Amino acid sequence: MTITNKALARRTFLRGVGTAIGLPFLDAMVPALSYGKTVETPVRMAFVYVPIGAIMDHWNPSYTGNLAELPRILKPMEPFKKDMLLLGNLTHNGGRALLDGGGDHARATGGYLSGVQPKKIAEDSSYGDRNGHSVAAIKAGITADQIVANEIGGKTRFASLEVGMEDAQQAGNCDSGYSCSYTNNLAWKSESQPLPPTLDPRALFERLFGDDGDLSPQARERRNLYRRSILDYVTEDSKKLETRLGPSDRSKLDQYMTSVREVEIRIQQNEKDNRQIDPGMEKPGGTPGDFAEHFKLQSDMITIAFQADLTRTVTFLVGREGSNRPYREIGVPEGHHNLTHHRNNPEMIEKVAQINCYHMRTFAAWMEKMKAHQEGDRTLLDNSMIVYGSGIADGNRHTHEDLPTMVLGSGGGFLKSGRRLVYRRETPICNLYLTMMEGMGVHKEHFGDATGHLQGLTA
Amino acid sequence: MYLLRSLVRLAFAASTVATVFAAQATFDTAVKPILANTCAGCHNDRLASGGLNLKPFQAPDSLTNRDQWEDILTKLRGGEMPPKGIPRPPQADIDNLIGYVQGEFEKADRAIKPDPGRVVARRLNRNEYTNTIRDLLGVTFRADKDFPTDDSSYGFDNIGEALTVSPILIEKYLSAAEKIASAAIGADPMPKPLTWEGRRSDRAIRRVKLSTSETTHRLDLGAEYIIRVVFTGNPAKTDAAPTMGLWVDGNLLASKPFTLPAAAPAGGEHTEEVRIYVEAGDHVFRAGLIGDNAPVPPPGGGGGAPPDPKAIKPWVPDSISIDGPYAAKVERASRKRVLICDPNSGSACVDRILTQLARRAFRRSPTKTEVAGLTHFYQMARQHGQNADQGIQLALQAALVSPEFLFRMEREPTNGSIHRITDFDLASRLSYFLWSSMPDDRLLTLAESGKLHAPDTLDAEVTRMLADTKSSALAENFAGQWLEMRNLDVVHPDPVKFPKYSPDLRDAFKTETRLFFEYVLRENRPIGDFIDARYTFANELLAQHYGIPDVKGSDFRKVELTGDQRGGILSQGTVLTVSSYPTRTSVVLRGKYVLENILGTPPPPPPPDVPALDEAAVGTSASLRQQMEAHRASPICASCHSKMDVLGFGLENYDAIGAWRTADGKFPVDATGTLPNGKSFATPAEFRRLLLANLPEFEHCLTQKMLTYALGRGLGPQDRVTVSEIDHKVIQSDYRFQALIREVVRSMPFQMQHGEIISKSDQTRPKEVASK
Repeated sequence: MTITNKALARRTFLRGVGTAIGLPFLDAMVPALSYGKTVETPVRMAFVYVPIGAIMDHWNPSYTGNLAELPRILKPMEPFKKDMLLLGNLTHNGGRALLDGGGDHARATGGYLSGVQPKKIAEDSSYGDRNGHSVAAIKAGITADQIVANEIGGKTRFASLEVGMEDAQQAGNCDSGYSCSYTNNLAWKSESQPLPPTLDPRALFERLFGDDGDLSPQARERRNLYRRSILDYVTEDSKKLETRLGPSDRSKLDQYMTSVREVEIRIQQNEKDNRQIDPGMEKPGGTPGDFAEHFKLQSDMITIAFQADLTRTVTFLVGREGSNRPYREIGVPEGHHNLTHHRNNPEMIEKVAQINCYHMRTFAAWMEKMKAHQEGDRTLLDNSMIVYGSGIADGNRHTHEDLPTMVLGSGGGFLKSGRRLVYRRETPICNLYLTMMEGMGVHKEHFGDATGHLQGLTA
Repeated sequence: MYLLRSLVRLAFAASTVATVFAAQATFDTAVKPILANTCAGCHNDRLASGGLNLKPFQAPDSLTNRDQWEDILTKLRGGEMPPKGIPRPPQADIDNLIGYVQGEFEKADRAIKPDPGRVVARRLNRNEYTNTIRDLLGVTFRADKDFPTDDSSYGFDNIGEALTVSPILIEKYLSAAEKIASAAIGADPMPKPLTWEGRRSDRAIRRVKLSTSETTHRLDLGAEYIIRVVFTGNPAKTDAAPTMGLWVDGNLLASKPFTLPAAAPAGGEHTEEVRIYVEAGDHVFRAGLIGDNAPVPPPGGGGGAPPDPKAIKPWVPDSISIDGPYAAKVERASRKRVLICDPNSGSACVDRILTQLARRAFRRSPTKTEVAGLTHFYQMARQHGQNADQGIQLALQAALVSPEFLFRMEREPTNGSIHRITDFDLASRLSYFLWSSMPDDRLLTLAESGKLHAPDTLDAEVTRMLADTKSSALAENFAGQWLEMRNLDVVHPDPVKFPKYSPDLRDAFKTETRLFFEYVLRENRPIGDFIDARYTFANELLAQHYGIPDVKGSDFRKVELTGDQRGGILSQGTVLTVSSYPTRTSVVLRGKYVLENILGTPPPPPPPDVPALDEAAVGTSASLRQQMEAHRASPICASCHSKMDVLGFGLENYDAIGAWRTADGKFPVDATGTLPNGKSFATPAEFRRLLLANLPEFEHCLTQKMLTYALGRGLGPQDRVTVSEIDHKVIQSDYRFQALIREVVRSMPFQMQHGEIISKSDQTRPKEVASK
């Protein structure tokens, strides 16, 4: 990575050198990355969500304690045994029906990081409640990543980064009368404000590394001034507008205003931190059809964002919950969701297991890069906490207990890795998040349905 | 029985039979005996079969539990209950029960105070944004390629509640506004032109026909570009020189005869170039010879002698290069649309330009303060040494990020009353319903003069708007979601099992369904055409796929259907493909599709842990029919699948990409079925006729979908009266499609709004938000 304050240098570099600079080169740059004088390596956090659980027989080992032989799906993680925690019996209670009927997929993602049960869209929300007050049609909860982003996000260019891979279904119901908001998004800024993930690698690249390389410094400065003025103007406009709106319209405008405010802060941040970052990779041309190729682009950019300290909090929605994506590249032409309802048909179970393994191999390739990057006496992976999991365990029966969950990296020595821990049944997965927040330096008493911290996790 | 339900509903709408039932029947005589004698054997507090205990339903006050009672009625009407093996009471008694309960519901509905409900402020979704930019400025901007996905609810992506705003969206709005304003006014200096060249040898261009190749390229700027094509070949001597064609995204934008030197050697290399205007974005550039219809020959015969240099070879594009951007030589229409006078002439003109801009961007008369707000940006640009055009460009940029542009927030009284919406808001509701775009000048002018809401004017406007090509938006967005046509982009039929499926065939499916929908719409056909019609739209590719003879060429045309294999949307490739798995058909998925989108009675999701059907074994180890029978042996499954699967069987003669078939794997297709009401069919044609007999049911379903889409909100109990009024009027109008649209526009919830109390204390809140 080449860091320079000169705008043009980066473009010249990018155009002049067709070959990408390998990531290991980057660690020489670490000292230049921090704003302050003393260098304290930051801890990063990511949540990687894979859809429709896993074949748990090939996920759960039969032992607890230090990680030994890994079951089939986890095999690709063999090189990371000392870097990971494999957690058993964590539950997402909000994923369950609890009298709300069908819709396990929507609830699985919709409340995965908040521990709440997402609200099914009310048939009569247009008429308000009994007292005539408006009723929100969409309601989930603020997610763990956003709690952290709210506290420490101001230290980086991006308070948080939302990354995805699979485009939404274009028409029809997403799941049994639930809004598609719950399956399309993993991070929620508030109970009614989901944060849509960026799916297109090219768009992610432009967002992270800028799409204004051709502007002269003066033009860039003027553009930022104009942008700020426009945001001031629309804020003033909104304030006037709000006085004549009822509560439900106002809540829409509030989303708009808080988002405007956040972008204003980001522009200010960009002016303070005007490093030009050369990501050392070519700008992607678009979205590859191949899963592994797409995953590689997205995860490479997450890695660079972590390395360059552009953000410390990432959510990565690898597939939409209930995804029916076929995986022809590994010889599985049937849709994923279709296969997960295997009804104990061994052939179908095998194919689901193959998909699970494929996801895991792709993930392991990413972890390798995280581990290859040195930061002082630790690796980037050491300084991170990356949860890989799903809000469903058994896709055939839509279960939400004993979720497939592992944490990669120790958060800078905060977690004691290399073990398999099995908790008491029905332990809320929010307990894990509460502990991870602690590792991020964010102290919370309560979160979601957490009953406390996850015991025995830390070093 | 669907038909009965509709007849009953009709009858009650006319308010005749209702009184007959009411006079004769009471809950104790009409309902209780059947529940107690026939149903209670299974649906009691001990067994509660199918999760239903009818004990609480044996008293009249249970009628307030409307949803459960509607489910019960659906089962009775469809003949699903009582199930086989349970002694049936006389049909007249069952009809009497249905009639009584239905009558009580109608009574209850009439007692509900009419309430238009409330549509929350709607952000423009991606399609609306794209179309609005097109109509406001004449600029092409593909928001769907740039903005995050709009979440949908109730099956549509224009639902106010689900259209949220996030910081990333604001970032996108900011940068889109820069690009769009720049494209519209064109005041920024052009960057230095660059040349991109795609060569066949580098596989940067693909050959699509004998003498035609294409490539996909992204342009950052809408501007003029020089497209240069190098052909190589050694063609046979012909009288006329060939003509090069250049297509961008499938549209022929330029054609140019080869300018071959007089004493030309027959072959070699030949270069042609054209200069054209292309919008920013990803485009497919296709260059070749006009009239070229020959396929690409298979790759050379492998090994052997080197090709004879004198052999006749056709012209083939060897490379396509794109050189630009260059400033447009003629003034763009988009520029003229905004710059109605020369802003250099002074502040009066600037004021005129910005006033008109604000009126169109905010879709109403702007206030002086609002115009002043935009003028401020004009001045800011001038103070930074930019010219007058750039000043207007900056003001436009600001307007495009304003909440007044991005949202449709309707004006309302502060007392929370039910009120008629303003004419400006009505103009927007109309134009976003029928066009997915902003109101045009005529609508705005009518709104300004306060005439728009007059019934005759409104009617005339609907007629005018439907005749406008912009009403194709209903096909793209309403039909695209109702019929799940958009999902064609995300389903991936297995190329091994379905080698005939291709992007071209997929596009042909879409075009067929779109043209078919537009025909029913514009020609005001009865909605029964959706279920069965003696015509469709096809080109050669699609006709071959369907086995329709004598359709040649790639142009679509209306085709009369003579056989009985096809007819209506349920026999179109679009529907048959989106309701299949990638590798095979599914009677369950298709049955569910018909229930949800045609009959309007979506099935509940299966309870967890049910031993589901092993559909995967179909065609290999057991016939579909055998599998299904085994599956339905379980009463829990049978309660839904007895209907759902039968509907799916009606479409079994079509494979997973809609081709006609008579065998599935090694088993012959058995497309017969008997609905729970005893009606049976043996072919898809008979199946369609059975559905046609249920036309009121379909009409009711379509009304609900259309009203949801038009209002941008889900429907609630208070809307039942509106829906049944619309049903009634559409049926009276012989089920004409435009009657449905007209009645939706005439309906109370479309023209009125339940206000919210805007209190003083609320008004202090924004400050807190802002200071947070």
